[in-house]
Amino acid sequence: MPILQAEGLTKEVDSGERRLTILSGLDLTVFPGESVAILGQSGAGKSTLLGLLAGLDAPTQGHLALFGQALRELDEDGRAALRAGRVGFVFQNFQLLPTLTALENVLLPIELTALSDPAVRARDWLARVGLGERLDHLPKQLSGGEQQRVALARAFVTGAELVFADEPTGNLDPATGARIIDLLFELNREAGTTLVLVTHDQALAQRCGRCLRLEGGRLVAMSREEVEA
Amino acid sequence: MRELALAARGLRRDLRASDVRALFVALALAVAASTMIGFFLDRLDRGLTRQAGQLLGGDLVLEQGRPFEQALRETLQVAGLTLSDQVDMVSMVSYGDAFQPASLKVVDSVYPHYGEVRVDRGEGTERLAHGPPPGEVWIAPRLALLLEVTVGERVRLGESELTVGGLIEREPDQSAGFANFNPRLMMHLDDLDATELVQDGSRVEFELLAAGPAEAVARVEPLLERLRRDGVEVRDVRRDRPGLGNALERADKYLSLAGLAAVLLAGVAVAMATRRYVDRHLDTAALLRCFGATQRQLARLFALQLLWLALAAAALGAVLGLAGQAALLELLTAFLPLELPPPGWLPLALGVLTALAVLAGFAGPTLLRLKRVSALKVLRRELAPLPASAWLVVAMASLVFGGLLWLYSGDPGLAAALLLGGLVMLAVLWGLGALLLGLVLRLTERLPPGRGDDGRRALRLGGRQLARRRSASLGQLLAFAVTFFAMAMIALVRGDLLTAWQAQLPEDTPNHFAINIQPGERDAFVAALEATTAERTALYPMVRGRITAINGQPPREAVPAEARGDNALRRELNLTWQERLPEGNRLVAGQWFDALDAAGDDWLGAVDARPLTERVPISLEDGLAARFGLALGDTLTFTIGSREIVGEVASLRDLDWDSFRPNFYVIFPPEVLERFGHSYITAFHLDEARSDAVRQLVREFPGVTLLNVDAILAQVRDVLTQVTRAVELVLAFVLLAGVSVLYAALTASRPVRAHESGLLRVFGAGSRLISRVQGAEFAILGLASGLMGALLAELATAALYVAWLDLAPRPHPWLWLVLPLGGALLIGAIGHALSYGLRRQAPAESLALLGEA
Repeated sequence: MPILQAEGLTKEVDSGERRLTILSGLDLTVFPGESVAILGQSGAGKSTLLGLLAGLDAPTQGHLALFGQALRELDEDGRAALRAGRVGFVFQNFQLLPTLTALENVLLPIELTALSDPAVRARDWLARVGLGERLDHLPKQLSGGEQQRVALARAFVTGAELVFADEPTGNLDPATGARIIDLLFELNREAGTTLVLVTHDQALAQRCGRCLRLEGGRLVAMSREEVEA
Repeated sequence: MRELALAARGLRRDLRASDVRALFVALALAVAASTMIGFFLDRLDRGLTRQAGQLLGGDLVLEQGRPFEQALRETLQVAGLTLSDQVDMVSMVSYGDAFQPASLKVVDSVYPHYGEVRVDRGEGTERLAHGPPPGEVWIAPRLALLLEVTVGERVRLGESELTVGGLIEREPDQSAGFANFNPRLMMHLDDLDATELVQDGSRVEFELLAAGPAEAVARVEPLLERLRRDGVEVRDVRRDRPGLGNALERADKYLSLAGLAAVLLAGVAVAMATRRYVDRHLDTAALLRCFGATQRQLARLFALQLLWLALAAAALGAVLGLAGQAALLELLTAFLPLELPPPGWLPLALGVLTALAVLAGFAGPTLLRLKRVSALKVLRRELAPLPASAWLVVAMASLVFGGLLWLYSGDPGLAAALLLGGLVMLAVLWGLGALLLGLVLRLTERLPPGRGDDGRRALRLGGRQLARRRSASLGQLLAFAVTFFAMAMIALVRGDLLTAWQAQLPEDTPNHFAINIQPGERDAFVAALEATTAERTALYPMVRGRITAINGQPPREAVPAEARGDNALRRELNLTWQERLPEGNRLVAGQWFDALDAAGDDWLGAVDARPLTERVPISLEDGLAARFGLALGDTLTFTIGSREIVGEVASLRDLDWDSFRPNFYVIFPPEVLERFGHSYITAFHLDEARSDAVRQLVREFPGVTLLNVDAILAQVRDVLTQVTRAVELVLAFVLLAGVSVLYAALTASRPVRAHESGLLRVFGAGSRLISRVQGAEFAILGLASGLMGALLAELATAALYVAWLDLAPRPHPWLWLVLPLGGALLIGAIGHALSYGLRRQAPAESLALLGEA
């Protein structure tokens, strides 16, 4: 059974007097354990698509199911409850809370679940991303790469089945970005997580099992050659 | 449970953020101020009751011309009151050939209920919690002087001889006032029978002094009503508070007002800090939504977090409040008895309630935004939910503050009026603030761009930034204006209160009374007095007369039942005549004699031509008129000696009983009472060092009675000094609350300023320029809000004085200078200090604060 399934997904927004169509009749099926990259130009609607897929926003039309559950049947709170503990996120701008330490940032999603020993888990994951010695540092005391590591630990700490990553290297220099990507795929492999990654970075996309291009509001499958070109 | 713990953890982490600290400080200050003032007023009230009890001689004093019955005593004792017997009379005392009338106070072994007698038994002044033992008398130093007797010698009193055991310096119960001008002799009840002074027909007052808790006095209330109707004089500590009345009542009101101001300020601070708190937590809320938190979970989480915050702040505030009231009490120990019951729980509960109410009212509507945040915000920053409607915020805050006003003042009408007035003022201020900001923008745009002149450039940039951030600036302007207003009002009222108190008892307030000056020695006495002191009141003639009819009826039948035992009906009154209204008296109804005269009412001729039972106009003290239910046109018949004279009430006077001047219930016009035997009374001021002058006067005019009221005066002054200090401590609290508003507001505006200064830096501005731009902005903000605050304060104090504090309103021109300049300085200083770190930041970092890098 697919972990994520979208059929005929359409998103329109009002922009002043005009109505903009960002996604039109998009289809996507993702199976557990897959890693999928979605490529696209800036402004193609990648972030909008990610928001829809994660249930952070509702489509104008179309059918969308997460973990086999049709999202249309759920209200905002229902969708939130569906995500709790099962979906992880990595954002371009890290989205760490500036007043929380690294450890506390990682604790945040666990505290919403009933998982046991949150602090032990959080420490363990921070150690796995190489920040075992930096537990009590605030985000501003960490470099961009370190902040994104904290974000990775946070994404995996609840044992999420599905991780969405939105331009995870967008704010990092190439070398740091590469290390983060290595770490992301390593963690993904170890945890057997499904990964949906939105990026404009082809090198990053190559590491995924499947690559799709967002064009004219639809997804187009890319061949190996296209990706490596 | 898990949620509680989660919320507590969240709060602990949150305390690192300056807005949460500002929120915490503001709430703690609100609770501290309200509990401190609550505790203090509670204790002050109890202290005053106790002191009044001491001055009265007990919590309840009954007085009549015959001994009290056993049944009555038992009823009072069963109700929980301790009784003490006292007998008062005037009798001759002799030593050798010297005779002097003395005012006898015969006390039992229980005396005194409260306080101590200060007496010199030959070894300096001692404070004793009992009266003279049997066989001894204690006498006033003046009596010793007149009789030329010393401690240890025996004086004759009626049929017995008693040893002079000590000289009385001060009695704890002094409220007898000047009804009795003879020097004091205090003796034990056991010796009374042997003197054989109490005979049928002799004028003796029997007093029953009862002490006990207020509930015990309340329990015998019906009995008291009956006794009053039977002509027993009943003095009750709850009603008859001698002495300090006016000044303390104002202080009481002032403290309540200051407490409310502190709460209002804390509310404004909470509102400002909440804005920033919510802005900051929008991200947290969005992330939590991403991680799967439901709206309900979010709402509960933040509500619980703030509940923890409120409770923690309430706990700290309560501790501060307790410490504060202890400090207040420390300032007041001289006049509050030490065995006060511990502070009650009610002010504490009120403090916690205040914290919760302030939080709910001033932060609630803004907090609702957190609940509505969309998870998508983590991907798209611009998706912050719309800010709460300003009107909703104001309406909610007003509702809560109105409720608190009601709770504190106990007067819903007053609370509603204040609130309504406040809202109208707020709307006016809003408009005024918008105008001011527009003006600033226009002025700064016209400012010529001086080349290389950093100062002018900074002023222009700062002014523009301020004016263009219109709604945020308007909010700050209003918050600061309200802050300055509250601070200024509390400071102004304090100053005017102190001035009023000082004016009430100036340095040269009379501290001696001279009574019984005979017409023949009048001029000589005045001459002698003028040689020693420049400060004396007019000389008032005094005739003793008794009220024998009111409107033609026996007085006891003519007055309301509760006034039947009134002192003024049971004793002879001191009547005087005056051509002009005496100093310190104010006419509240009718006309003074000269106006009647001019109107052609020729009572002068009438007096000469007709028998003396004809009517003459009189002027009555308005308090007495109110007690007796008298109005203009009513008549009082006085028996003076063997003759009767009827006075028709032609005017009512309000007078200041705390003024230490001769005051009279009844004043006659000239040429009515002269034919009766009269003496004169005057009051004068003499420095303590001039006691030789007093002895001189006593020797020169042995017939004249001199009363020294320094002790009472000192006590009143003491209380005023202490209350003044209390008022100042409270003022400091309000100022602190004001600074907390500034801190909260400036903290709230930090990120926006960081962004701006980051951008300026990117565009090439140096630290110096940025610092000046911000300085200019703060200064303009301070100046404008100071102006608005001054306007508000001026209007509000004028209204307060007229409606509430009974003071004459007056303008405060310097306020219009001090507030804008002080505001500019204060806001400039705090703002500068808070943004010091920002100026040092690299622009990338400042911009990243908003997540835009």
